[in-house]
Amino acid sequence: MKSMYIGIDLGTTNSTIASFDGEAVNVIANPFGENLTPSVVRIDPRGGTTIGRRAYRFLESDPLNTRSEFKRLMGTETKLEFPMAQQSFLPEELSAQVLSSLLSDASDLLGYQPKKAVISTPALFELPQNHATVQAGKLAGLEEVVLIQEPIASAIAAGWRKELGGMWLIFDLGGGTLDVSLLETKDERLRVVDHGGDNFLGGKDFDNAMVDWALAKLHEQFGLSEVRRDNPESRSILNRLKAACEQTKIELSRVQRSMISVPELCRDAAGNSVEVELEITRADYEALIESLVARGLAVCLALLEKAKVTPDEIIHVVFVGGPTLTPLLRQRIGDAFGGRIAEGIDPMTIVARGAALYAATAGLDARPNEPAAQQPAGLAVRVEYPPVTADAEPFVVGRFIPGPDELLPAKVLIKRDDSQFSTPEATVTAEGTFVLQLQLQRHVRNLFHLSAFSETGAPIPIQAPDFAIVHGVSIADPPLSRSVGVALSDDTVHVYFKKGTALPARKTFAHQTIRTVVAGSAEDLLSVPIIQGEFHRAHRNGLIGTLTIGGVKQTLPAGSRMEVTLHLDRSGQMQARADIPSIGQSFENIVHILVPTATLETLEQGLASTEKRSADLLRKGFSSGEKSAVKILESVPGLMLEARRCIESARGDDPDAQQRLHRLLNEIDSALDAAEEAFEWPQLVNEANEQIQIAMAWVSGWGTPAEQRLLDQAMEKASTALQTADALELDRQVKSIKAVTLAAVNRNPESVYYDFEWYVENITLATDLPRATELINKGRGAASNRDRDALRAINRQLYPLFPGTEEERSKSYGSGVH
Amino acid sequence: MPEKNLAAENMLRRHLANPFLVLSLPVDAGIEQIERQGQKILMMLAAGMSESASYETPLGTRSLSEELVREAIAELRDPDRRLIHEWWARAWRKP
Repeated sequence: MKSMYIGIDLGTTNSTIASFDGEAVNVIANPFGENLTPSVVRIDPRGGTTIGRRAYRFLESDPLNTRSEFKRLMGTETKLEFPMAQQSFLPEELSAQVLSSLLSDASDLLGYQPKKAVISTPALFELPQNHATVQAGKLAGLEEVVLIQEPIASAIAAGWRKELGGMWLIFDLGGGTLDVSLLETKDERLRVVDHGGDNFLGGKDFDNAMVDWALAKLHEQFGLSEVRRDNPESRSILNRLKAACEQTKIELSRVQRSMISVPELCRDAAGNSVEVELEITRADYEALIESLVARGLAVCLALLEKAKVTPDEIIHVVFVGGPTLTPLLRQRIGDAFGGRIAEGIDPMTIVARGAALYAATAGLDARPNEPAAQQPAGLAVRVEYPPVTADAEPFVVGRFIPGPDELLPAKVLIKRDDSQFSTPEATVTAEGTFVLQLQLQRHVRNLFHLSAFSETGAPIPIQAPDFAIVHGVSIADPPLSRSVGVALSDDTVHVYFKKGTALPARKTFAHQTIRTVVAGSAEDLLSVPIIQGEFHRAHRNGLIGTLTIGGVKQTLPAGSRMEVTLHLDRSGQMQARADIPSIGQSFENIVHILVPTATLETLEQGLASTEKRSADLLRKGFSSGEKSAVKILESVPGLMLEARRCIESARGDDPDAQQRLHRLLNEIDSALDAAEEAFEWPQLVNEANEQIQIAMAWVSGWGTPAEQRLLDQAMEKASTALQTADALELDRQVKSIKAVTLAAVNRNPESVYYDFEWYVENITLATDLPRATELINKGRGAASNRDRDALRAINRQLYPLFPGTEEERSKSYGSGVH
Repeated sequence: MPEKNLAAENMLRRHLANPFLVLSLPVDAGIEQIERQGQKILMMLAAGMSESASYETPLGTRSLSEELVREAIAELRDPDRRLIHEWWARAWRKP
């Protein structure tokens, strides 16, 4: 049985499954002969489940018991109700149903149920959403699930057999989100340079533009004032109208005019049946979506600008997702990149194809394990090799596992099946291992045969001596989409894994507790909030988990050392552990791994306060004439408009709109933060100049040559940041300058007294005032005796008692560490 | 905030995991050499070869893990991050 690799595109609207056998990638059709299976689940009154195309047919007629688009809610605790069956399910449980259906289609074709698969997720999915996707795979019966970001899967599928070097732009427009990724292929290795996107732009917005147009026409013709987005009673009517618009939109990709037809949509005020027959031309439709297309193009250009790449440098644009079939979109994006659109690619199945290829790279053979009785005779050997690689001369490592009466071989060699290549004989080590280097034929599947020999040169039969390596584009590990770190008590972040870190990854760093935790008290807990995002203020990033320290065996004083280890597996699933050496206890209890959800009421309040803040800042921007702040604020009115629209849909009982609004408010708040930072620019410049003067004085006096070089570099970068008015970069460089200064200051033996003076002057900021007073009194004694070592020890105990202000602590998700 | 022992300790942890140290490669190693060496060490770790269990640093031997090797390869793929690691690796190697 040949190796088989499975890739699944678990989409918001449709899902696809593909297989790769080492030579060709095939999309597996469902029983209707279609490549796309609608991501729709219906549960009938008797509890019977229908999935895919059959369920899709009920979406209009029975929307309450038929659910779609649950992918948008992955990682939240929102349970979706099926009232007729009186059942409710989490989004991952419904996704598991869709996955089961796809795996069953694969099983019909392959003759066995795949046990391992790669599932694609949007590039901007956060850890809780990834976690939920893996759970869905496990619930569907997969033993191992590896995730891949959709744009990377697309790039692998588009370029795995091409010898092209250069930049690629992947334009992935899904139902609800736009992901744009910039990738680079060099020496057949694929690297993600950067990605951007718009969480609030998708094919759904194209549909909505047409639905709004149709609604306006219906209000005009039939006066249907009750049919509105914010009226839950209109849901079924709107769903039917939406389905008709979706159909018309698809038709308009091929023809110049079409009709939105819905027989008996509803009754008008006089009780007459409303028959919808609205003619729309492609030009009408294009006028409706013009601004949405422009938004998509702006996202691409902004990404290129950020990465300092010009449109001329893009060798190919790859379109992914059904909405990219829209002629206007292809034309506008194509024009911006000189018409260099990758040809011969099916935008609907490319992600699943790439995922299947990636499954081979990750060595995820989907075949079930053979029972022991069926294993061939011979010496057992475990051969480690890259199933797909860009390296034409890869290494292979093996280990023999002899049975009780079996001897280890003395030598091994590997031959390629075309007889054009053989390794020299290699010696097997005493532990039964060997390392050999192979040569591959480029861009094909290479078959190899391993032979083992005794001391006398007699061949030794071995189990499974054959293996295959495909030469193609390789991408070793999925990169982390957003940085992960621990929120500290002063509302800053200790970054553990930077954006782009290859997964799996593990890091341990030391922290100190900021207050005393009393033994025996079940309520007295200390939190280590784990967050994801790029903002330097902790509270602006998303909380993805909290490690809770509670039930300590003995009282843990403030300032106790705590080592925190975070581990992310290939799929972004997180494990966290805190070790406290002083009491010999470890804590691994993560209490929260969900996308935060908020009630409609909280969101309405949030929107109101964001509106006020935004209006204040816009006013300030125009009156002060601070150009960079005004530029940042340009995007805010559009986002506010979108937020108001979302709140209308959320009032109409659309849980997805609620989730969208939550993210939208975060995005607006971030833009407002950035604008505020721009207003603070003059102050930042003053601070930088002051810090540079202090640094020069200290580093020239006490710094090492290496520190002086580091200071020179940081000053140079700070000066560039000053010229380009890059606040974030300047802030970063000022931090580096401070760090170098600190190293130099600490080299001065007198610095211990300055540190102590700082604590004395700021004693009111201490979290434990009696303890701080006690230490300061001791410190005064040490200082008057000129006992530096004692004073240094006291400073070390004082440090954790000054963890930042109360406000900063409450903002940083109540962090108990520094 | 004055006392910075923790920051210094955390910084040392970062720099002892310098990718060039982890992969036992010179700072001028090309990307092909880096990928090949990285994959080789990963496979040796997976096969449980004892010689792959540790790597040398200026402060002694440290144990090697799959995550460290994967991170090292990824860090050196990024030209900007590679520059920083080259700087530190040179600083480590010159007494």
